[in-house]
Amino acid sequence: MENFQPVIVAFCCHYCAYTAADMAGSKRLHYPANVKIIRVPCTGKVSALHMMEALRKGADGVYVAGCLEGDCHFRSGNTRAARRVAYVKKLLDEIGIGGERVEMFCMSAGMGEVFARTASEFTEKIRSLGPNPARVADPACTGTAC
Amino acid sequence: MQKRSELSNKVLIVGGGMGGIRAALDLAEAGRDVVLVDKAYAIGGLMTSLDRTFPTNNCDLCTLSPRLSESGRELHIDLMTMTEIEGVEGSLGQFKANLTTRPRYIDLQKCTACGECYRQFPGCVRFTPGLDHRAPTCMRYPQATPYAFSIDMEACANVEELVRVCPAGAINPNDKPSSRKVEAGAIILSPGADITDLSLLDTYGYGVFPNVVTSLEYERILSASGPTGGQLVRPSDGKKPRKVAWIQCAGSRSLKKGFSPYCSSACCMYALKEAMVTRERFLENIETTIFYMDMRTYGKDYELYLQRAKNQYGVRFVRSRPHSIDPVFSDGSMMGDLNISYMLYGGSHPQTEQFDMVVLSTGFRISNEVKELAAKLGVELNEHGFAKTASFDPVATSKPGIYACGLFETPKDIPETLVQAGAAACCASGDLSPLRVVHEKMENFPPERDISGEDKRIGIFVCDCENNIGGVIDVKAMAADLKNLPEVVVSEAIGHGCSRDSLEHIQELIQKEKLNRVVIGACSPRTHEAVFQDTLKKAGLNKYLLEIVNLRDQDTWVHNDTPAFAATKAKELMHMGVGAVRLTHPLVDHTLPMNKDVLVVGGGVTGMKAAVSLADAGFKVFLVERSNQLGGNARNVRKTLEGQDVQAYVKTLVERAENHENIQVLKQAVVVDHTGLAGMFKTGVQVGPRMVYRQITHGITILATGALVNRPKEMLLGSHEAVLTQLDLDALIEDSPEKAKALESVVMVQCVGSRVEQNPNCSRICCQSAVKNALRLKELNPEASIIVLYRDMRMPGMQEEYYTKARKLGVIFAPYEIEDKPQVAADGKKVALTYTDPVLGRKVSVSCDGLVLSTGFIADEESTEDLGVIFHLPRTSDGYFLEDHVKLRPVDLPTPGFFVAGAAHSPKSIRDSIAQAQAVASRAQTFLAGDAINMGAAVARVDSNRCAACLICVRSCPFGIPFINSEGHSEIDPAKCHGCGTCASECPAEAIQLMRYEDDLIFAKLDGLFERTA
Repeated sequence: MENFQPVIVAFCCHYCAYTAADMAGSKRLHYPANVKIIRVPCTGKVSALHMMEALRKGADGVYVAGCLEGDCHFRSGNTRAARRVAYVKKLLDEIGIGGERVEMFCMSAGMGEVFARTASEFTEKIRSLGPNPARVADPACTGTAC
Repeated sequence: MQKRSELSNKVLIVGGGMGGIRAALDLAEAGRDVVLVDKAYAIGGLMTSLDRTFPTNNCDLCTLSPRLSESGRELHIDLMTMTEIEGVEGSLGQFKANLTTRPRYIDLQKCTACGECYRQFPGCVRFTPGLDHRAPTCMRYPQATPYAFSIDMEACANVEELVRVCPAGAINPNDKPSSRKVEAGAIILSPGADITDLSLLDTYGYGVFPNVVTSLEYERILSASGPTGGQLVRPSDGKKPRKVAWIQCAGSRSLKKGFSPYCSSACCMYALKEAMVTRERFLENIETTIFYMDMRTYGKDYELYLQRAKNQYGVRFVRSRPHSIDPVFSDGSMMGDLNISYMLYGGSHPQTEQFDMVVLSTGFRISNEVKELAAKLGVELNEHGFAKTASFDPVATSKPGIYACGLFETPKDIPETLVQAGAAACCASGDLSPLRVVHEKMENFPPERDISGEDKRIGIFVCDCENNIGGVIDVKAMAADLKNLPEVVVSEAIGHGCSRDSLEHIQELIQKEKLNRVVIGACSPRTHEAVFQDTLKKAGLNKYLLEIVNLRDQDTWVHNDTPAFAATKAKELMHMGVGAVRLTHPLVDHTLPMNKDVLVVGGGVTGMKAAVSLADAGFKVFLVERSNQLGGNARNVRKTLEGQDVQAYVKTLVERAENHENIQVLKQAVVVDHTGLAGMFKTGVQVGPRMVYRQITHGITILATGALVNRPKEMLLGSHEAVLTQLDLDALIEDSPEKAKALESVVMVQCVGSRVEQNPNCSRICCQSAVKNALRLKELNPEASIIVLYRDMRMPGMQEEYYTKARKLGVIFAPYEIEDKPQVAADGKKVALTYTDPVLGRKVSVSCDGLVLSTGFIADEESTEDLGVIFHLPRTSDGYFLEDHVKLRPVDLPTPGFFVAGAAHSPKSIRDSIAQAQAVASRAQTFLAGDAINMGAAVARVDSNRCAACLICVRSCPFGIPFINSEGHSEIDPAKCHGCGTCASECPAEAIQLMRYEDDLIFAKLDGLFERTA
């Protein structure tokens, strides 16, 4: 399982986590290339459907990264996102995929280190969990490259 | 269109370096006309020779070239290169300048910058100072503005042949010098500086030993556009160096004849940058050593940069000023390795160490040409040739209406230059007639092409961003590979995508190939989206038919340790972008009228100065102060280092602010809530002892909340009467000089509570406070014994002279290490202090009747945290507000409409705070020049056929915008929608879509990522 390269989708808020990711870049902080960022205007935009679709299409882990509590540019998008993540976790537990494949993180735009650390830790967690069972069950999947 | 009087609305800017460009852009964006004059062939100044800049360590041309095309594009800027000032008549408000332009021998209208002349006359790019030879045609650097070559006729042997070579027929050997008269209301001088006179560096063997180079030459060696193509090889034999040393203060901080007695301010930071880039780019066993006297990393977060160099990059630091460099003889040659001889602090034997290559950190000096220019203009200079300016008016020269910024004012780095440029722009625009005619950007965009009914034709362009992207992944191969994706018509690697020629190339291809979707693999859309959107508009495409893929900041920069993974990820990210761009469609931006009032939070010197500057420009300002009086920390300071009376200045400023007809001062006022967007903010404040709530509507917000004077409970501070802070001593000297005079033995300890774990940054003002107070004590009592225990004496620029003066008067300065802090114990009315003497190398005890702690600043965590939450603004880890870009946008906050100045940005002196306040006022005016707020196109749209009027959107919208209309379905006013997308993701019927982030567009990205046929 050590060679397993999970695919991780990170929905990042433009105002905080996406900027933090850029900050990690300008500080040259390394994190695994497994993490692919999708920019959203606010984590409030990320619906349960987006997370579930990411897993269905082949992601091994999904996380939503928004602003610190109380810092949402749009007041409450991050708390709504956190609620949806909790809901999706429950759903995943119920269908046997496991809620720990989805997570919510909070950080501010200046936290490049936190972004890099979060990305690394989450990747390691998913690596230890192994491939997304929904993906392994997919006959079109030929291994780690897919 | 009404014609403004040319006389009163124009600013003449001399010097097209970073400072001149910034001032020109600020003025132009605020609707002022500018004539920007540079004697060189292209603008850009000294910064264009740098490889990368601190502290982001990214490529300079990337950040600079969009600026330059911006500058060339602005309709308000009249750019005149190869031009000098002959003379100036008149005075403030009505200067008349005579300009002479040297012949370029190339018709800029015809020149296409094809480079044919340069190819036929090889070695013609005149950009590598000191490392190559000048040739007949020269263009200073690849992204030059104006994008054209210039010819040195005297160096050209065969003019006829040269003329024939040009396919555009642009070469005109009969070009003549021309002159022109320009009328201007104000003049900004930003002519920059030269580097240290290299002929004086003979003890270091410069010019004799090929492997001794200047820092600027080293930058060129590192640069991909330099003579070695970015390979780090030493000049003597082309070998890769294994041990590189930097010698600081080469030509600065020296009393030797011809050298500069002042500090050049920027060299410590650039040496750190060069050492780190060296370690980063050429990892294999390169040792980097910096020889220094004091590491002067006093800017915002610069201390952290120093720590990174030490801890993360393993750069070695030796506190010593080497006296000489000698060659090492090997194989009968003395042109290779070098021996550096130096003495360690307190050491009795000279040390010698061998290096492959030595970089001299050269400083700045004012050239004779600039001195002559100042004489022509009647601007007074100090003894070193820098412009004389006042403590409380940092950019005003001795001549009214003429302002100085950048290196010409005093040696400084790029962020400070940009701040001063803003300040100069603010002052200059205050000298012009008030701007009555509303400024409209007359951009000549062609009508938008109707793409409905067209088949999708995608164009892919991948930047290499020099080594930033191209050094990690094979950009060309990836572009070729992407060509195979369906509907992709063009897929190319385009070098520097944001350079003028690349942008023009993209524009051309969009038109020629009838592209209707564009994907750019580049840096972050946060910084460069607008640049590429403009290119689409110029090509007649709607600007939203674009996807920017963040290959640099989120791939090659962070995965440069695993290039294979970086390449795979880059491909995946590009596939995601291509998938998404297919689903983009043309959108229209929504606009709203702009509120032009200003809210300034914080009534210290910074806040008042910003408020007064904007109020003078005709804007209505609300100045909110939480205490019951204006003045802030400056109320506690009596004299500046230069001896100016702070209280008199503060008093005048308070009177101006309180009595200004355009300023409303609200004291004992606390910001409690905030809503809205730039141009239409609403902020609630509670005012007065009865906390009356009041709502202010305003267009922009300036944060000038300052920092707190630090009083850590260390070293008996607060528990022993002989222990004071520098501020206490300042007051004692002014209020009870007899008591101050009676102090016979004084010890000052620097960095108490700064540069420590709890407060990691340098407080910046403490070294000058210590020197200032030591000098005043010596004046009162020349016999007083004064010892200053320091970690690094940080006296940048001309402050160095006060440091020198203090040492001459017998003040003892001794460095201590952070691991070995001075120990303090009460000794009756005195204080006993034990420290390790660096010369003796052992513990020494002194009994002093005054222990003065330099405690500096600490961020006002409570206040910045509250305001950060209320305004949704990011802060640094130590609690200061985080600006949008440390170098290029030092006073703009990341959220549009917010600006920061003064100590709320980072600790700084009154003088620096004033400069920032003026810079902020200038930036604010660029924002307030428009009449409409662009709301963008990311708004929610309701599909009425799917809406069940369930009210979920109405309840979930954080701003209460959706409502159920008379037709019984939800309606969202696009002009009011903030574009967060909450309603879209909550809607159970999926009847709402957020434009630019539609569900199918996000799914297309996922499909792109998981494409099985990669």
